[in-house]
Amino acid sequence: MSYAYLFKYIIIGDTGVGKSCLLLQFTDKRFQPVHDLTIGVEFGARMITIDGKQIKLQIWDTAGQEAFRSITRSYYRGAAGALLVYDITRRETFNHLTTWLDDARQHSNSNMVIMLIGNKSDLESRREVKKEEGEAFAREHGLVFMETSAKTAANVEEAFINTAKEIYEKIQEGVFDINNEANGIKIGPQHSPTNPSLPGAGGAGGSQGSSCC
Amino acid sequence: MFSRFKNAVIGAVSGLETNGIPTPNDPHSYNKQTLAPKFLYGRPAFLNLSEDEVQMSADHRLRPIIHPSMSLPHHAGYAECVNAGKSKWNEDQAVYRQGVLTRVEYNDKQGVQKFSIPYTYYGIFDGHAGVGAALCAANQLHHILHEKLVDAQDDIWIAFSEKKRLKTKPSDLLITGALEAAFKEMDQVIAEDRTKYQAAGGCTALVALFILDKLFVANAGDSRAIICKDNKFTLMSMDFTPENERDRIRRLAEQQPNLLGQEFTSKEYVRPPKSSELGKTVMYRDAHMSGWAYKTLQVDDLKVSVITGQGKRSRVMGIIGVTRGFGDHDILSLYQRTPIKPFLSSHPEVQVHKITNVTENEVLVMGTDGLWDVVCGAKAAEVVAKSLNTFMEKERYVSAATCLVGSARGSLVNEHSWQLKDGKPSSADDISVFVIPLLPYKLEYEKLLGKYSETAESS
Repeated sequence: MSYAYLFKYIIIGDTGVGKSCLLLQFTDKRFQPVHDLTIGVEFGARMITIDGKQIKLQIWDTAGQEAFRSITRSYYRGAAGALLVYDITRRETFNHLTTWLDDARQHSNSNMVIMLIGNKSDLESRREVKKEEGEAFAREHGLVFMETSAKTAANVEEAFINTAKEIYEKIQEGVFDINNEANGIKIGPQHSPTNPSLPGAGGAGGSQGSSCC
Repeated sequence: MFSRFKNAVIGAVSGLETNGIPTPNDPHSYNKQTLAPKFLYGRPAFLNLSEDEVQMSADHRLRPIIHPSMSLPHHAGYAECVNAGKSKWNEDQAVYRQGVLTRVEYNDKQGVQKFSIPYTYYGIFDGHAGVGAALCAANQLHHILHEKLVDAQDDIWIAFSEKKRLKTKPSDLLITGALEAAFKEMDQVIAEDRTKYQAAGGCTALVALFILDKLFVANAGDSRAIICKDNKFTLMSMDFTPENERDRIRRLAEQQPNLLGQEFTSKEYVRPPKSSELGKTVMYRDAHMSGWAYKTLQVDDLKVSVITGQGKRSRVMGIIGVTRGFGDHDILSLYQRTPIKPFLSSHPEVQVHKITNVTENEVLVMGTDGLWDVVCGAKAAEVVAKSLNTFMEKERYVSAATCLVGSARGSLVNEHSWQLKDGKPSSADDISVFVIPLLPYKLEYEKLLGKYSETAESS
């Protein structure tokens, strides 16, 4: 499948916050209540459309377990986008965000777009972290914020696609050097600016599920 | 079609990336580069990687640690990562197989009875000077071994069913023999393929075979197997490097000096003699000697020792750093192009380990030298024990394998340098690791024993 751009994403956050479930919902449109522990890193991919252009998202879903931290740190490098995930029903996962963010800032390129995600929004009754707190954290650290539910799929598409839109805008503004793959962006093999873009009504569009893990 | 083309390119590219081993550049070998590869390049089949993921796995800047997405037998662990840029593709290969030896018996009471002896096979192969030989071994060695085991299965069965009456251990020798014969044949197959397929390079071979109440570890090369148990380890193989095989190679050189060409000598000198020292007295030893003696330096003594260098840098004829394995049929010394293959061997050392007393925390770790170059046995046992304590049954062995690869790979500290936590350089080589629990094979054997004694009693 040809694409105009490939964006590399990384998903980070404490263990059990639903990183792999978010990925599965995004790539396969399904929810798996009991998910195997992620070991090291697993991969996912999906095609989206932004501004009429086919964009392939290559997603590195990392293990939240402390045992893998030194391994997964090396994967931040060369990511254009990061989803930093916490669980709204477990305050400690929110408290650890600063550590994750420091890690991400230290090991990634400075232009990486970071989306803060409060997951499990379907579990309102067990909520421990207010939406406002997430918003405030995001504001303070210059992140985009969203609450999602990997179970009901609420905001899952938006989280992945809005991150891609931000990256796309940065490309248009010339912030990213797209010829340097270290930025997590690759120009598609058949992409040429003179080619009319593929049809698509702009914004979020067609998807091509292709789970691999 | 595309992938065929792509793989032909890969083969051609890797032919040039020889890890220090020059590709022979006579016209014949050039023609060989235009032949198709025997097996298309890929990562181990059980990893089930898409074409995209194969590309991602070869990212030298990220060196992602890949593990299987499906469980291996008894949740055995595997993990690998690509080198830091010394060759485009990961030249290690790995494989596992489960096979069955079936025996049909007939008796008057019960009619036809079928007995099965299951076995499990794991192999890792570290390729050099191309990806071909390791791919051949990963695709073919288990088939060859199965044939050899089938040849021996009646005798293996008799030894198993009537073992109380037999004092010797014939089935050990039969299985060891099957492994030895299979290794030899694998090397011959690669030799015969030279006229038909693209130059294959060479590879090391480390195989673990679980059958009945034993684990057989067959090794030809510098990959290594250890058994870990609660922070302790036992070596299950020896590394076949020029340094460790000094005696074998120098004796062969002494017995057949014609193999040395005009360039090399089987003698060793305390320090390399110079032409300015001709006529002076130097200290030397011959292949059969353990001590040193004196001689007058002659022109013939100015030849290079067949084995040079120390440790990781030791070489046969100045070229190859591993002395056993498959392939390398065409490698020649650099200057006078003397064939090196006669000094290499495909013969494995086979170690046998009884698994009837193993405990829950005992695992077999098999790794290519990418692991062992920077992780010692004690460190490996420590990493394994930590994973075994941290994770549940389903994840613990894959986690152990992943952490082992991680502790050899380290992290990229600047654009080009991979380091370990303590600041020492990490392994820049391809790294592949199996972590295999031993207890399930003991239980499997007890089940087989129970099943057999039931049928034996009822008949």
